[in-house]
Amino acid sequence: MNIELSEEAAEYGRQARRALAAAGGDGLVQLAETEPGGREALVTPVLAELGAWDLAPRDSSTELEAAAALCRSGGYWAVPYPVAERLSRPADLDVDGLVVVADAVPAAAVAGLDLRWAAVTLDGRRSLAVPRPPGEPPRMSAFVTRLDLQAAAGNGEHDVALGLVLPCWTLLGMLDRAMELTQAYVLTREQFGQRLAAFQGVQFQLTEAEVERAGVEILATYALWSIQASPASGGPSAIDDALALRLAAVEAAEVVFRVAHQLHGAIGFCDETPLSWLSRYSQPLRRLPFGLSGTRTALTGRIGRIGLAGLFSAGKDSGE
Amino acid sequence: MGEAATALRGELRGLVREHVPAGFPGAFTDDPADLAAAQRFCRLLAEKGLLCLAWPEEFGGRGASVWEQTVVREEMWAHHEPRGAQYMGVNWVGPAIMRHGTAEQQRAHLPPIARGEVIWCQGFSEPDAGSDLASLRTAATRDGQEWRVSGQKIWTSYAAMAQWCFLLARTSRGERKQQGLTVFLVPMSAPGIEVRPIRCMMGPHHLNEVFLDDVRVTEADVLGAVDAGWQVVQEVLAFERVGIARYARCERLLQAAPTVLGDQWDTLPAELRGRWARMLVHCRRARLLAYRVLARQAGGRVQPGDAAAYRIAVTRLDQDSAEVLTEIAALAELDSEQGRWFGREVADHWRYSQASTVASGSIEMQRILLARQLLPRTTR
Repeated sequence: MNIELSEEAAEYGRQARRALAAAGGDGLVQLAETEPGGREALVTPVLAELGAWDLAPRDSSTELEAAAALCRSGGYWAVPYPVAERLSRPADLDVDGLVVVADAVPAAAVAGLDLRWAAVTLDGRRSLAVPRPPGEPPRMSAFVTRLDLQAAAGNGEHDVALGLVLPCWTLLGMLDRAMELTQAYVLTREQFGQRLAAFQGVQFQLTEAEVERAGVEILATYALWSIQASPASGGPSAIDDALALRLAAVEAAEVVFRVAHQLHGAIGFCDETPLSWLSRYSQPLRRLPFGLSGTRTALTGRIGRIGLAGLFSAGKDSGE
Repeated sequence: MGEAATALRGELRGLVREHVPAGFPGAFTDDPADLAAAQRFCRLLAEKGLLCLAWPEEFGGRGASVWEQTVVREEMWAHHEPRGAQYMGVNWVGPAIMRHGTAEQQRAHLPPIARGEVIWCQGFSEPDAGSDLASLRTAATRDGQEWRVSGQKIWTSYAAMAQWCFLLARTSRGERKQQGLTVFLVPMSAPGIEVRPIRCMMGPHHLNEVFLDDVRVTEADVLGAVDAGWQVVQEVLAFERVGIARYARCERLLQAAPTVLGDQWDTLPAELRGRWARMLVHCRRARLLAYRVLARQAGGRVQPGDAAAYRIAVTRLDQDSAEVLTEIAALAELDSEQGRWFGREVADHWRYSQASTVASGSIEMQRILLARQLLPRTTR
């Protein structure tokens, strides 16, 4: 595996981050919350300019890495649009995007968009998904709505890994930003005559969060490699690796946002700070299709007695 | 990691299977046979060119890739470090002598290390100088062509079995405490050296106190320049950025658990099996963070904070996995031969893991290094 994204993909991600900043940056989600009906028009022009819908993440590692980098940049600005879900669209269904759903209470952050959706469960059951009209305003729902499912033909197992991994890249972008905001804040805010950053208690909390964030970054890269390396491009081991990533990402989000809020103090809850928006709009990514316990249960059930691929997995020395 | 690394992994596993006694408990028990087994294995590795394969060819190595070196670290630690104390000489004493040693020092010290014949210990920590190493008080005073060294070292691994000590001592007082330190290569047989073992939970022959009472060393025993020891030590520590591949042993034991427990595995609480799965994820996380440090180091892009983040992750993994494994072992009947092996390994892993956030740079020091990277304007 490549231990880091290719320079080409990383540069694409940087360009995307700049373009999204120019399109509104932190203001995008704030505007979308005020006028949910306009969120598609708010975001899709810049995504189209970036060539987002020309990306074919199933076709090559280069395209896959570029898609991941775009999702990360979207997460950085809490872009109020299901970029990862659209990039995960199945190749063989006439839909605009894909969401992975739990067996019960299927839901996704796709409210109020004029798009056609497919859904897939962890075991590969496919559906066409119709979002219900939002029952709550986005300030409460973060654009999450229930889905009505109609069974669709075919096995969607090969869609699951990509559908799990790309949203983790979005969440990674949110963790990047939460860390940056917190670093900047503690370097500025003074208490007891010195900057918060000078207190070792503050420093150590930040390191705890950074280890978690860095761990997600490396597992997210591994999961991309796994999708490409898996025999059927997204086969069973890629799903295990995607769940392993998701478990780490959900755990990390809990730590990073807890530390970020704690170190920001009261200002972190206020609408004037981007952390407040990031924190709230990270919720769907952390809870759907399943949260920490559900992800762990799913992973444990799948790997059974075999464990994860690694140095000592059964019949295999090292896959990398 | 490449085909060469994969082949090397297979070769090392074969050698361990064939030449390391079944159930090998490590080299540092009360039974001298265990140390002898480690010494034999070292010589075997040396004969096959595997002990110092990372060393440059001019010093008897193979100039192996960073990934082959990583495979050796992983396989040895996963199999209870059958090189015993030799890794210290191989991993950093030898490279430090290559870089700073005189031709005579290189001739004297490198071949015995490469043959697996000599054990080194590291005379760094003192009762009042642990993480704050530069505060050490062991003093070397010039006496004509010689130096007289007096002081006390503590937590010195392998001192009771070592033939040589890589000793850091104060030779002058500078403006900063990091100045005025010098490295000496001291034979442990020198008059005036007394070693007192400290029995501890990792094993009876791990930690020691070393007392130096007017020990005479010569100019020829100085490594590098006088008063420039801090730079030598910093370089030495850089060789060991990644350090022990703790994740490899964690993964080996975690992966073995379901096989060893057999049908009992399914009777474990689901919550415990969930923690087991989580630990496997953390093993992968630590391993990949190590690989990233190595890749960045090879590309000249590594920062101290990268290695620190890895070390925080891997030492926490060591302790967290030990808790999970100990709980698994406690709930199982381990009366088969394999079960007894597993029980002993898990107990040993738990004891060792307690020291992992303290040894070789405490987790607090790693957090300070990482914080410097995250908050550069304040913490330097």
